[in-house]
Amino acid sequence: MLIIFYIAAAVAVIATVLVITQHNLVHALLYLVVSFLAVAMAFYVLGAPFIAALEVIIYAGAIVVLMIFVIMMLNLRQESVAQEKKWLNARIVIGPVILTLVLAAELLYMLSTETSVHLTGEVIGAKAVGMSLYGHYVIGVELSGILLMAGIVGAYHLGRQKKKVTHRFLEKQEE
Amino acid sequence: MSKQDLLSIVPLFILTSAAILILFSIAVKRNHKVIYGITTLSLLADIIFLAVAEGPATWTVEPLFIFDGFGKFNLGLILVTALAVTMLSYAYFEQREERKEEYYILLILATLGAGTLAISKHFISLFLGLEILSVSLYSMIAYLRKRERSDEGGIKYLIIAAFSSAFMLFGMALIYYTSGSMEFGAIGAYLSSLPELPIIMMAGFGFVVVGIGFKLGIVPFHMWTADVYEGAPLPVTSFIATVSKGGVVALLVRFYSQVNGYQYNSLVVIFTVLVIASMLVGNFLALRQHNVKRLLAYSSISHLGYILVAFIAGGSLGKEAVSFYLVAYFITTVGSFGILTYLSDKDRDAEWLDDFKGLFWKRPWTATSFSAMLLSLAGIPLTAGFVGKFYIVAAGVKGNTWLLVIMLVLNSAIGLFYYIRIIAIMCEKQGATDANPSTLRPSIYLISGFSVAVLTVALLWVGTFPEGLIGLIRSLLSP
Repeated sequence: MLIIFYIAAAVAVIATVLVITQHNLVHALLYLVVSFLAVAMAFYVLGAPFIAALEVIIYAGAIVVLMIFVIMMLNLRQESVAQEKKWLNARIVIGPVILTLVLAAELLYMLSTETSVHLTGEVIGAKAVGMSLYGHYVIGVELSGILLMAGIVGAYHLGRQKKKVTHRFLEKQEE
Repeated sequence: MSKQDLLSIVPLFILTSAAILILFSIAVKRNHKVIYGITTLSLLADIIFLAVAEGPATWTVEPLFIFDGFGKFNLGLILVTALAVTMLSYAYFEQREERKEEYYILLILATLGAGTLAISKHFISLFLGLEILSVSLYSMIAYLRKRERSDEGGIKYLIIAAFSSAFMLFGMALIYYTSGSMEFGAIGAYLSSLPELPIIMMAGFGFVVVGIGFKLGIVPFHMWTADVYEGAPLPVTSFIATVSKGGVVALLVRFYSQVNGYQYNSLVVIFTVLVIASMLVGNFLALRQHNVKRLLAYSSISHLGYILVAFIAGGSLGKEAVSFYLVAYFITTVGSFGILTYLSDKDRDAEWLDDFKGLFWKRPWTATSFSAMLLSLAGIPLTAGFVGKFYIVAAGVKGNTWLLVIMLVLNSAIGLFYYIRIIAIMCEKQGATDANPSTLRPSIYLISGFSVAVLTVALLWVGTFPEGLIGLIRSLLSP
């Protein structure tokens, strides 16, 4: 089963390198989704299905939402529709799709084999994670809450500006 | 959780509740005075609780925290310093920023993060504390949006802090991989069962040192210090220089002694090189500075080097010397930044050497206390800095780290030059053509002035009669 882990890890590394080297933000985000999916796959092979699911929901899901936001902000006029089409043409999607197909093949293989496929032999499910977080490490969970609070208060202050500065495309429309 | 567990973490509870209380009071009405009051009172309550609370000398809250004398001392020191920074903040922010209330939430949360570091004995609490501290500091550094340099400082700190956190996490992962534990004590127990340090463990320690070195701003992880010190609002600068570094020093001392780092020669060599580089680079870069904020930034690099001399010397004397020097350094640093705050006007911080020209004639008292602070930084007798340095040299001699002691003495001599230069500039007589007398003006600075006065008195008191503080540190550190 080690080979499955290494393939997933390789996909993660390749996708992350491509995130950094892409010039277009939307293309970089596509690869970022693949990178998170590959990491989720690695977690799954290591015997942590719950963390793998969280990785997909929280990280990969959040990136998709971010992409929708970007497209929503642009999708205001005819030209931006053309722009969107230019960004999301078929050739761009090929790379991420191939990498995702590799991961999907791995997942299908793992689901189809009957025997225990996890590397460590011990599967840590949602219950074990919950017991650990809300039993042993409850103070840690609370401290993470405080960390989020610091982040939100800071972002609120820094994000607020006195001048009314809207997105450059929105501003043009108002003129 | 037992009753004693809950009682032990009350200091953290008080800080958290204060932050939430401020959040609610902002929601009701924005009032700087009220929020300033809540912050001051909660910090005071926390300090008093820590001082009077009775309990066993050492108590561990499994698995994250340990409340021993050293941890409590550093927690108390962090809280007192945060209180001093709060005192300086009121006048500074009152005349600058229209939305100043969030600053106090961030200040309290950053204090909580540093306090968590001082009492943590587990990688999870270490990392969470470090991140709470860093995340609060990002926004605190960039708090004054209208100033041109604040964004630069904030973003620099954000990128480098995130980068060093990544290094540190990887180091923790390597250590966890070899030892199978994230608790300092358990790692130490695992290591003592081995004949020598495994190479992966060594790499792990190296990565963790990168993360810690960044936070402390020691060479070669010091690149951010000058720009961040310059860009940040003055009270925040003093916070970074003291509370944020103090928490990490406490953590480093605890981690290192629990994993028995002293018996591994390679680790000691790494730290020796870092420390000598910090002292030299810090002092030489400070020599040609005309910006006082940057000068103090470079001087803080070399001071962290001095503190780590005592840390490398080790032993109980080393621990005492680290604690004592931290107190002396905190008083001095908050004091000198306090004076800069006191002299700053509405648009600009008093940061250029020219701002200090003829200060002795214009404001003799301010100039006198600033001179006292600078002399303490230089380590002149009758100030806290001198006793602190003496303590470090004693610890170094006892630990037979002669090279470090010689470097420390040499560097103190270099450092003397730029501290004395500021004093000389303050003594210069300014001509009658003082075109801009209102540049450095008094206004609502009563609280700041009072705090600076208290800090000056504390500085001289500790410098003249250090027995009281030494006795306190000894009684807390003795097991």
